[in-house]
Amino acid sequence: MDAAADDSFEKQNAVHKVEYPPEIKTLIGNLKRLPGIGPRSAERIAVWLLKAGSEAVGDLAEALTQAQARVAPCQICGFFATEEICAICGDESRRGESLCIVEEATDILPLERTGAYRGLYHTLGGRISPLDNIGPEDLNLEGLWKRLHEGGFEEVILAVGSDVEGEATAHYLAHSLESYGVKITRLAQGLPAGGGLEAADDLTLFRALEGRTRVGEG
Amino acid sequence: MSIHAFISPVFLQELKLRHFRCFETLRCELEEGMTVFVGDNAQGKTSILESACILLRLQSPRTTSLQEVIRFEERSFAVEGELDDTRLQIGYSQSRRKLVVDGETQSRSGDYLARSGVLVWMANDDLDLVRRGGERRRKFLDFMGSQLYPAYRPALRSYEQALRRRNHIFKRDPKIDWNQVDAYTELLVEHGQVLLALRAEMVEALEPLAAEAQTRVSGENDNLGLQYLPSSRDAELGEAYAASREEELRKRVTVVGPHRDDLVLMVHGRPADAFASEGQQRTVALAMKLGQAALLRQRRGDDPILMVDDIFGELDKERRNALMQALPAGSQKLVTTTHLDWLQDFEPDAIFRVADGGIATESP
Ligand SMILES: [Zn+2]
Repeated sequence: MDAAADDSFEKQNAVHKVEYPPEIKTLIGNLKRLPGIGPRSAERIAVWLLKAGSEAVGDLAEALTQAQARVAPCQICGFFATEEICAICGDESRRGESLCIVEEATDILPLERTGAYRGLYHTLGGRISPLDNIGPEDLNLEGLWKRLHEGGFEEVILAVGSDVEGEATAHYLAHSLESYGVKITRLAQGLPAGGGLEAADDLTLFRALEGRTRVGEG
Repeated sequence: MSIHAFISPVFLQELKLRHFRCFETLRCELEEGMTVFVGDNAQGKTSILESACILLRLQSPRTTSLQEVIRFEERSFAVEGELDDTRLQIGYSQSRRKLVVDGETQSRSGDYLARSGVLVWMANDDLDLVRRGGERRRKFLDFMGSQLYPAYRPALRSYEQALRRRNHIFKRDPKIDWNQVDAYTELLVEHGQVLLALRAEMVEALEPLAAEAQTRVSGENDNLGLQYLPSSRDAELGEAYAASREEELRKRVTVVGPHRDDLVLMVHGRPADAFASEGQQRTVALAMKLGQAALLRQRRGDDPILMVDDIFGELDKERRNALMQALPAGSQKLVTTTHLDWLQDFEPDAIFRVADGGIATESP
């Protein structure tokens, strides 16, 4: 290559740093704010959207607008709803005597998929975490006490996580629920179903041994 | 057939470091018997032993934060080694820890540790075990417990997490909501009970082995006794917390539980820190480590690797010979020293000189 031409190319390049137009930069900036999307992914999605054509982009924009406008937390349980009350709370066939408490609305779907539960739910909207400065007052507990006061529930199931934050939240709730005279249960945390003993973690196995149950006379 | 026929030494054959403490990279072949690292102070001898300890047990005897062993201006470190027929690898950065056994990434540290080996770390400051406060002895128990019982480490970690949050509430809130505090009290009880049970079992098993080592090293019967002393004394852990509320309100910290336990070391029935001679104290410190090795061997069926940091060169000839004889013969030994004068009495299988962030073989 001609040395002079090469040199001028370098110079030009140094002066005009080529960047995305501001419209695309704004788009990337917005995408980056989404959970789980890093700068590289944001860039890829932005470029894909530009190529996708106006119809696809219009559909996406419309879907976002509709979801934002029409979906709100259920006034009773906190699950996603398009009316004041969600499909679960509105289902007359569901038994109203058991109430399952979850941390987030998204926790309800995996429980529903089991098909094993026909009771109702209550979403806390988080869990107690002193190091993040989240206390009981930051959770949707007022709504929970109100529902329990209104009565009718016989059992409250604590379906919260099994890490230290989830465990502490469960203990806090179990304590606070004592005065309501309901049966309090936790999702069983024993050995994983369908797995051999090798699938269990060491502490679970130790506890399972300590708390083993008698299965016969002798 | 005697049970000893089944005991095979753990043998760390190769060690590779990257961005570890003062080392850019380092590779060395270790011997089955004794490998010696010689060098001046602050050249990285101890760091080599430390890297082997982290590779095998995922923890360092020198620091609680693995972040600290990352080389200056680097963002991650890696240690790799061949243990018997197993290839172990640990990579660590601030955001990520990667554990690999025989090419397979392990998501749970318990699975990794189950495939790894056991070790005993011996250093000059072992005397602190006898002389200093309970923290050193708790660390001793925790390090041994994690190697003996798979449930120990997860219980300890869960206990410490709950403790941190509970203490945070005490510091943060002027007016204490006990309902919130007790959410953590229950976790302390749940995990603390596991620690109490395992510590009691472990101390009971260790006592005769440590006493025997004491007698062997000192040449006389010192009657070394160990007494595990839970801070909750004879009370149920839950009751102990209930009884400490006033004190906790005053001090704004969790005052009772396994994090305040102690282990009393006694010579002829009297506490060794106050009543034993310095010579006896040194022997007690040594006997605790030798007892640990014996217990690991008894329970795990493996002779643990001995990592002996800067001890031999500091002893007179007589004590040195006594110590060498007391070490389990079958164990692989990784030894550091500042000078080689003393080595002529023994037969190391390999000597490496450590200087300027590298090592060189020296003929034994
Ligand atoms: Zn609802």
